[in-house]
Amino acid sequence: MSQKTLWSRCQEKLAADIPEQQLNTWIRPLQAIEDKEQLRLLAPNRFVQDWVKQNYLKQIQPLAQSLTNNPSLTVIIDVGTAAKAKISAQPSNATTDSIRAKKAIAMTHGLPEQFEHNLNRTFTFDTYVSGKSNQLARAAAIQVAENPGSSYNPLFIYGGVGLGKTHLMHAIGNQVIEANPQARILYLHSERYMQDMVRSIQSNTVNTFKQFYRSLNILLIDDIQFFAGKDRTQEEFFHTFNVLMENGQQIVMSCDRYPKEIEGLEERLKSRFGWGLTVAIEPPELETRVAILQSKAELMGVSLPHEVAFFIGKRIRSNIRELEGALRRVIATSQFIGAPITLDSAKEALKDLIALQNRMVTIENIQKTVAQYFKVRIEDILSSGRSRSIARPRQVAMSLAKELTNHSLPEIGKAFGGRDHTTVIHACRKIAELREEDSRIEEDYLTLLRTLTNN
Amino acid sequence: MSDTVQYAMQYVFDFGTQAQHTFEQFVPGANAVAMGLVTQLAERVGEPQLYLWGVPASGKTHMLQAACQRMGAQGLPAAYLSLAEALHPGVLDGLEQLALVALDDIQAVMGLEAWELALFDLINRLREQQVLLLLAAHVPPAMLAVRLPDLASRLSWGPVLRLETLDDAGKREVLRAHAAERGMELSDEVIHFMFAHLPRSLNSLLAGLEQLDRASMERQRRVTLPLAREVFISRIQPH
Repeated sequence: MSQKTLWSRCQEKLAADIPEQQLNTWIRPLQAIEDKEQLRLLAPNRFVQDWVKQNYLKQIQPLAQSLTNNPSLTVIIDVGTAAKAKISAQPSNATTDSIRAKKAIAMTHGLPEQFEHNLNRTFTFDTYVSGKSNQLARAAAIQVAENPGSSYNPLFIYGGVGLGKTHLMHAIGNQVIEANPQARILYLHSERYMQDMVRSIQSNTVNTFKQFYRSLNILLIDDIQFFAGKDRTQEEFFHTFNVLMENGQQIVMSCDRYPKEIEGLEERLKSRFGWGLTVAIEPPELETRVAILQSKAELMGVSLPHEVAFFIGKRIRSNIRELEGALRRVIATSQFIGAPITLDSAKEALKDLIALQNRMVTIENIQKTVAQYFKVRIEDILSSGRSRSIARPRQVAMSLAKELTNHSLPEIGKAFGGRDHTTVIHACRKIAELREEDSRIEEDYLTLLRTLTNN
Repeated sequence: MSDTVQYAMQYVFDFGTQAQHTFEQFVPGANAVAMGLVTQLAERVGEPQLYLWGVPASGKTHMLQAACQRMGAQGLPAAYLSLAEALHPGVLDGLEQLALVALDDIQAVMGLEAWELALFDLINRLREQQVLLLLAAHVPPAMLAVRLPDLASRLSWGPVLRLETLDDAGKREVLRAHAAERGMELSDEVIHFMFAHLPRSLNSLLAGLEQLDRASMERQRRVTLPLAREVFISRIQPH
């Protein structure tokens, strides 16, 4: 079977006739199942199927016939996939394919004896870097993994995007599967739950859908805020939830906000989501960001100088995904060039990102953003007014200008309605103090910091 | 004369149908690192996700097409999709069954809820199935008008690479490479003439090359300065 397949020979011929872009859009996505009498092409979706059928099939059929010297060969096109013709690049193996196919069927039809969990094995507690920002969530997750169904149920993890909620959910699943390889654990995104349900309604298999979800031992469901406004899905999930809870099975949910704050979510769900334990994950502070970078680099087998980790961590505050993106950029560039990772090479690799940040973080922009955030006018911030409602935003803006720009204190003072540099120093001290004392100010400050440094 | 005018009009828009975008053909200029990383991705030894950005004609589409072509050469299914031309988010369905997905012009669908959701869901599926992903847009992720924060963070998951447009020397090199592929002889003076009389964007220079090639074939003449003059100057003159 190491010879070229009929379909790859067809593709070579088609490449000469079909413009490249169309080839890459319509022909290259097709996978093939071949036998003597038939070339069955599989399109990823019906759009590709329809287009190919209308535009290329009449070209492919005679081509395939002439390549095989078989005028009765038929070419058909369906939607689907040739089981694992893809990345694994291993020679296709009939036995494993059929097992996989059976498992896939089991996944959709809920046959209890065939179950393959879909956890990402690299997301474990060991690879999860903990810090002040996620300690509590991590501790709770470990508890749940040790006593699924009996300690905190449901476990509700909330926090902004890219902070490691999904990692924790997989870590729970991985630890449970270690102790109990038979456990029926499903991780899925709430969007997928919804699609699954819609599909089951369309194909008249609602009962198998229900049966499948209700037979789980652990349901890890991500980004539950996507259920907002989807009444039918909420209705179904309500029942799934109840059955699992009644049977003592574990549910872990994640969300980008606190359950009560999800608009468009039924009250009865909101209250149920709060039955167990609700924990927050905050954006990681600098030390944790640096530790995360070092841990990720280690996983990639790269030694990352501390100063480089510190530099990236200081620059990227928004979320861990972007942190990872920047790190990968630095590592990939240095590996490609074949030079060690240094502070300079990191700066060079991230220069576009930094330039962009610098462009966005001007004193003017800070004033504007802060004014909008506190709902005051820029003129007020620049004015000599001293009422608390405008003095506080002004101090926050000055403090941010000091932290985020390279302007000197006198320059900053000047930009704030011609104030003295000592006023700027005072503002910075005051805000530092308040951030320690008042968690709301701390939160405001961090939100502004993130807004200004990303997006 | 008016024949030439019509002629030019007809073929300027036709450009591209014969051009092949491969890695071998890419003139890296200042984009050597980006090209290297995309090549590694397409050979499945690099990063699983890359985001390319740059002004039009900086080579984004070329990179994406070349990556698809390289996957095809390895017998692996890949898809190139320009989201500026795609009509329905359903075109993203099922793409996790492929080995590489290359999405061009993603800025075109930002702010559209159904698209953002579909793209977000696609990225999740691709990650799960370990499918390679190439993204391209005019601007970096932070400047896209994304509404869904879940999508925004996922776009920056891998390295973000800027492609810079070629300088004139680079453009000359591209012209020569394309000419060689067509079996055309392109002298320095013709290139010089083209730079002086055509807009200097790579796309218009390549369109010009196409015109010259066709004119040369049609009139059975070699590509010389007089021919270039006829083709380009007559094109600009009112009839």
